[in-house]
Amino acid sequence: MGENKSDVLQGTLDLMVLKTLESMGPLHGYGIARRIEQVSDDTLSLNQGTIYPALLRLQQRGWIKSEWGTSENNRRAKYYSLSRLGKKQIDKETESWERVAATMARFLASSR
Amino acid sequence: MDWLRTLLSRCKAFLIRNKLDQELEEEFRSHLEFATEENRKRGMPEDDARRAAMRAFGGMTQIQERYRLRRGLPLLDTIAQDVRFAARQIRRAPGFAAVAIITLALGIGANTAVFTLTHALLLRTLPVRDPGELVRLAIDVSTTETDGRNAPLNLPIIEAIEKRSRSFHGIFAWCVYDFPFKDGTVNSGIHGAIVSGNAFESLGVRPAAGRLLTPADDQPGGGPDGLAAVISHRIWVERYHADPSVIGRHITVTDHGATIVGVAPAGFEGVIVAEHPDIYLPIEFQAVLYGRPTKHDGGRLWLETFARLNPSVSRAQAAAEMNTLFPSILDATVPPALRHLPVIEKARFEVKPARTGWSKLRAQYTEPLLLLQIMVGAVLLICCANLSGLFLARASARQQEFAIREALGAGRLRLMAQLFVECLMLALPGALLGVWLAWMAGPWILHMLGNAEAEQAISMRPNFAVLSVTVACAVLCALLFGMAPAWTASHTSVDSALRNSHPRASTGGSGLRNFFVPFQVALSLTLVVVASLLGTTIARLLTEDSGYRTDNVVFILTDFLRVPEKGEALVALYHRMAARMEEFPGVDEASVAAQPPLMGGRWTDDFVAAENAQYARPAEAMENIIAAQYFSTLGISILSGRDLQNNDSDRNSCILSQAAARLYFPGAPALGKTLRNVIHHRDTGVATFHDYQIVGIAQDTKYDSLRESPPPIVYLPITSGEGWMTNAGATLFFIIHARSTAAANSAYLATLHEMAPSSPEIPPIEFSQSFRDSVARERLLSVMSGFFALLGLLLSCIGIYGLVAWNVERRTSEIGLRMALGATRMRVFALVMRQVIGLLAIGVLTGGIAAFFAARAIHGYLFEIRPGDPVIFALSALLLSFVGLLAATLPAHRAISIDPTQALKTE
Repeated sequence: MGENKSDVLQGTLDLMVLKTLESMGPLHGYGIARRIEQVSDDTLSLNQGTIYPALLRLQQRGWIKSEWGTSENNRRAKYYSLSRLGKKQIDKETESWERVAATMARFLASSR
Repeated sequence: MDWLRTLLSRCKAFLIRNKLDQELEEEFRSHLEFATEENRKRGMPEDDARRAAMRAFGGMTQIQERYRLRRGLPLLDTIAQDVRFAARQIRRAPGFAAVAIITLALGIGANTAVFTLTHALLLRTLPVRDPGELVRLAIDVSTTETDGRNAPLNLPIIEAIEKRSRSFHGIFAWCVYDFPFKDGTVNSGIHGAIVSGNAFESLGVRPAAGRLLTPADDQPGGGPDGLAAVISHRIWVERYHADPSVIGRHITVTDHGATIVGVAPAGFEGVIVAEHPDIYLPIEFQAVLYGRPTKHDGGRLWLETFARLNPSVSRAQAAAEMNTLFPSILDATVPPALRHLPVIEKARFEVKPARTGWSKLRAQYTEPLLLLQIMVGAVLLICCANLSGLFLARASARQQEFAIREALGAGRLRLMAQLFVECLMLALPGALLGVWLAWMAGPWILHMLGNAEAEQAISMRPNFAVLSVTVACAVLCALLFGMAPAWTASHTSVDSALRNSHPRASTGGSGLRNFFVPFQVALSLTLVVVASLLGTTIARLLTEDSGYRTDNVVFILTDFLRVPEKGEALVALYHRMAARMEEFPGVDEASVAAQPPLMGGRWTDDFVAAENAQYARPAEAMENIIAAQYFSTLGISILSGRDLQNNDSDRNSCILSQAAARLYFPGAPALGKTLRNVIHHRDTGVATFHDYQIVGIAQDTKYDSLRESPPPIVYLPITSGEGWMTNAGATLFFIIHARSTAAANSAYLATLHEMAPSSPEIPPIEFSQSFRDSVARERLLSVMSGFFALLGLLLSCIGIYGLVAWNVERRTSEIGLRMALGATRMRVFALVMRQVIGLLAIGVLTGGIAAFFAARAIHGYLFEIRPGDPVIFALSALLLSFVGLLAATLPAHRAISIDPTQALKTE
């Protein structure tokens, strides 16, 4: 693993998953994991498996739902998609994350 | 809301967890296949593609575990697992499980039995509205000798309180009664109560059918329904099959027609604990029964009185107010002849909480029950120590298993939790069996209360409160006896335990085990000493010479309020009836007394020798009012002088007991002298007196209790016209000595029908029975404590046996080696026993100290035995040591029969 990869911050994975599903539509676990790696330009050290506890957590809250389906190359897989509640939640989560990010940025700027 | 959705989802997942596990596996598999395929497309060879995919995925097992922890209810999963595992363990050692369960059943059963009684008698809250507001109003007439004795009130006093006090509302009176009852062909006695019209309203209970009594029913001459009666839910169901048409039904109660107007709610048994009225009638029924206004009860105190405290009035405030009002209430309500009796002068008013109702049994049994509760607690501790020991032995035998499980990654907490579950699975069946045992023993325990009504009314069926306490008991036990083995198990060193292929060689927990035996022995010794002291007490009490003949003597209370004879004519009626009874075959003597002996009643009065009246202060003596033949009926000899005679010439005669003669005429013959009864009027400071000629001296007897030494007793004739005699004279006792109780009873009934047909039949009291029941408290204590001591002894034996057997087992190879090297059997035996003797010695020593303090704590219950009685202590210690050694010899004997070659071969 490269030196410049960073661990996924607790709680950010949920938002990444939600955002991914928002832009890509229904997707299976592997697809979500790959998408997150691609978007982050492979700078995140993500064990792909850790996506599953996150998916479970989101499902338990009712933000996403799952369904067994078939992929384009005819493989059975579980597809996740946003629920109505999840769509609403994205805005809230985004807003709160942006607030945190902005705060962090101000701290970093002032201490420079 | 998030957490709720999460919880629901978890619960759902828990139920279908097997299916979900399969799905998860499938999902992971498809994930890896997607990844492998992508890697392959990038040109990796098949093997590398697969390996890279797995690497990118991360630790499969860890993720699965994390996923599962989040998905279902992992705690439940774990518990289910533990339960299954524990069940396997228990099945594997059924003998051990049986011993554990039986031990616990005995311990928990004893606790449940005692607690059921405690709960029923002391703790059960009445099923009424706001029970916390209820108080009982009574008159405290306790003296230095009779602590906590109190008397009920009567209507004039209740009315005075209603008028003057601002502390209460809803004051109501209650008096239990047995009525002859007729309904159609049914003709039986019924246990009932007469209650104020507002009683149900004040209690806030609702009828199960019809209506309850109201103040309108409690009017002279009856209410809108005539004489209204409310029946209990119990007889409504049992006798009338819960038929609603029972409302309006006409019944006959003591020859008076009444109408059933309603049914009391299920579970309502009134406010007097251990009494369960099946019929409730208004207080005014008393007037119908006795043919005179209820208020004119001549100062008799007969109504248990309850009230609700007004809002924002505390019980202390109410009591303070009543104490200032009380003297004037007495002045207004008590007949002048009674007002200045010492007992009334000293009386105080009391306001006691009545959330749990009231019972006269409480004064007698509260402390003994607490004492028993402590003793069963000790028994339970012995049980736990015992099981701890057994479990430790098993735990050390299972050390390898623990080590393996730990090596496989079980956390220490997990191991402890598993052991705890195992303990619980033994404790809960033990508790169940215990509850059953307690239930079975219930009637037997109740019988020992020596109170027939309580025996019927108290339910020993375990209820919710009792069951929850029992379950709590079981859990506590499991914690207690599971703690030690769990502790040692969790401190097993994986490494050494695994390397040591022979589990016997380990010594884990032996220090703890050595603690349990002295602990058990000490507790058992304490129980044995306490039980022996109490046992000696009851034996001495029952063989104590009371001075009375008890065999074939009966007491029969009279109720002559309705006979036309009053005053002297009534006294003459008593004389005639006693004489008539003696004419019946089988009746030896019959007499009359105001106070039958040893029944707990106590009349005292002040007397002085008339010749010394100038300078001597009057002294208090017990008093009884009697007719001729009293002494011969009860087998008391008259030492000098003569008996009283049933005629007017003896109106001013009296007889003294020896002790009274010594008290009033020290060093001089009392016969023929004059004794002066002095009545102080404390408010006016005036003293009036009445002189009696002493015509006889009777042998000393006890008076109201077997515990006292014979007090001075002054016997006055019923012809003397004592103030309270003329009022309460309608309720004296016949005392009959006959060939048999039946003969006495039939003579009484025949005489009653002949000479006082308007009076109710009252069942006779056998003196031999009431004599035994007068020490019912001590009997309960001694029998129960004896049983607990036996139990403790037995359990300790099992404990000692277990320890020694385990030690011998553990040291088999060592003993084999010693024997191979030439140790004699005697030496091996001594080796095994030496340890036991040491532990026993520690136990007996600490137990002796504990017993010393325990004995001092119960000295109030002892009779003619000192709490520190050296013989009892020595015998108890000997008994314990002997039994303990006996328990140890069995396994020690096995040690000396060890075959050295065999023992060494297994090493």
